[in-house]
Amino acid sequence: MSASLLEARRVRMEFGGGLFERQRLVAVQGASLQLPADRPVVVAIAGESGSGKTTLARLLLGMIPPTSGSILYQGTELKQLDRSGYQVFRRQVQAVFQDPFGVFNPFYRVDHSLELPVSKFFPELTRDQRRERIEEGLRAVGLRAEETLGRYPHQLSGGQRQRIMVTRALLLDPKVIVADEPVSMVDASLRATILESLFRIHRERNISLVYITHDLTTAYQLSHTILIMYRGDVVEVGDVEQVIKAPRHPYTQLLVRSIPLADTKRRWGEDPDGEPAPSQGGAGPETTEQALSIANGTGGCPFADRCPHVMASCQQTNPSLVLTDPGRAAACHLYEEAPALSAEQIATLSHGGTEGT
Amino acid sequence: MTGNRSRVALSVEDLRVHYHTERGAIRAVEGVSFDLLAGERLGLVGESGSGKTTTAMALMRLIRPPGRIESGRAQLGDLELLSLSDEQMRQARFAHISLIPQGVMNSLNPVMRVGAQIADTIQAHEQGPGGEKMRARVSDLLSLVELDPDTAQMYPHELSGGMKQRVGMAISVALRPQVIIADEPTSALDVVVQKRVMDTLFRVQGELDAAVILVGHDMGLMAQCVDRLGVMYAGRLVELGPVQQLLEQPLHPYTRLLVSSLPSLDRRGEFRGIPGLPPSLLDPPAGCPFHPRCPEAIDGCTTKIPGLTTVVADDDSARIERRAACHLHTGVTS
Repeated sequence: MSASLLEARRVRMEFGGGLFERQRLVAVQGASLQLPADRPVVVAIAGESGSGKTTLARLLLGMIPPTSGSILYQGTELKQLDRSGYQVFRRQVQAVFQDPFGVFNPFYRVDHSLELPVSKFFPELTRDQRRERIEEGLRAVGLRAEETLGRYPHQLSGGQRQRIMVTRALLLDPKVIVADEPVSMVDASLRATILESLFRIHRERNISLVYITHDLTTAYQLSHTILIMYRGDVVEVGDVEQVIKAPRHPYTQLLVRSIPLADTKRRWGEDPDGEPAPSQGGAGPETTEQALSIANGTGGCPFADRCPHVMASCQQTNPSLVLTDPGRAAACHLYEEAPALSAEQIATLSHGGTEGT
Repeated sequence: MTGNRSRVALSVEDLRVHYHTERGAIRAVEGVSFDLLAGERLGLVGESGSGKTTTAMALMRLIRPPGRIESGRAQLGDLELLSLSDEQMRQARFAHISLIPQGVMNSLNPVMRVGAQIADTIQAHEQGPGGEKMRARVSDLLSLVELDPDTAQMYPHELSGGMKQRVGMAISVALRPQVIIADEPTSALDVVVQKRVMDTLFRVQGELDAAVILVGHDMGLMAQCVDRLGVMYAGRLVELGPVQQLLEQPLHPYTRLLVSSLPSLDRRGEFRGIPGLPPSLLDPPAGCPFHPRCPEAIDGCTTKIPGLTTVVADDDSARIERRAACHLHTGVTS
């Protein structure tokens, strides 16, 4: 197995179980994911709200410690990093969040958000060098310094603010940027511009991206590999072309069919290749919050109550990821004959490395 | 322009809405005209600040100061909505024209049972119905939006987002309006639930024989949902036409760039954003509001504002007419 830059090894995250909650919510259940050290990759984590994708992102960023399992940076577990090692991790793994409105302090000019990290992490630079670094960072995301510096956050558009957040991340020479729904609050015409600037810094600066999204079309556009999450489980993982174009897991199939494509020849609810949906596809009860947390605790497949292919075994055991094709795994009882995978093999699949056999 | 087969449900003419701020008037909606045909689904798409929600709110007469409807007409049957008194308009809302607002799922009263909230709306407009009769009506409405009638006894926190959205829909259609305006009705919902809520909305539309204006920014949703689409930019309607032709052969350069910026499942690693930013509505550029970003701008674009003109016409049906507000398209081609 090749050396990893950032890795999640069978991480599990539970919330609640405190004084007022009757049961714990398992937000992430045994997820494994790896970014290789030898080449930059773009990995998408996709799912609906409540799937655990943001929790997995926060785990990767070291913002919360996992209940079990481990997050490793350059081979060392985060909690074992010493002070300077942790500082390096914090500098090299950067975040871009969803809300370009909430992350700025409205009382400071945007310069402040850009200068602070530079002076903290690169105290040896002179004032002019810092300024130059900031202007270069702004250019990398398609902004002009004279149009952005010296302004207050409210004077900039959402798209500009989001690109300033990408700039801020860039300034620290990161190796990884974890972007959690970076374009979901940005207008359509600017969405492509922001994704393009992320893609460009990946290509030009060899930065790996973890792209968290609910939108499969932008995930397809940006990433090499994808993890599909459903209620805390990774249900399908592998090469984005395979996962989106020929999904194996019934949930992924439902998700892909549910994308409203801006193409009137493809009817909503059909597979992209024009196959009509199976009659019950997408049916089943619309779950209330209560039903959701109950399902969380039963041992069966979390998708069993909505799945058009549900079998008896689906109610009893939660399937683990198996290798359905070279380069892709799915967690579904339909593919039981497929070879089982170790956490390491799954991690390798997550970045499209050598095939998991 | 009303053809034989195109009865008009709502005719909007030269609508202007400005927000009066200390720094001047923000021209949120600037001369918008369109006809909503009976039984059709018309989409209004645009970025934030393009005026699509303000248009919807103006038709409902829900513009609050500093906003003001400066001019315009909105003819709905015998009613001219913009000249009704406040009390007449209060009666017309829900009964003739109804809004499913953005984030309706968060507008429910958390300490009131769902059924009581639906009954409230009915009672505000009709004297009388109470007791068993009202209960029957509430449960009919709940089944109309594909919820179990027992939902009436539940509180909003017991429902999922999609279910709350359906309750909002039930309240909006409780009095069987002829026109339903849905403002981003599914933008807060997951993609799987989104499709089912939209399916319900259109089934309800069919049942009521109503016309729908769907306001939003999601081109994919529009492509899958509406018959005709209007594209708004900087407070103006810049293109209007049948959704398929509009997407396949856009007339206005903004529409064309917007369509090509959309992610598809055919292209990877390729991004086509629209350079530049939408203009300030406080101090819009002279001429066409899109000219600073337009790759095809010609001389007249910087000085003269193009009006929405008919580019493709058909005497028989307004349903296939195409209009654009662009100097590149002046004159009728068929």
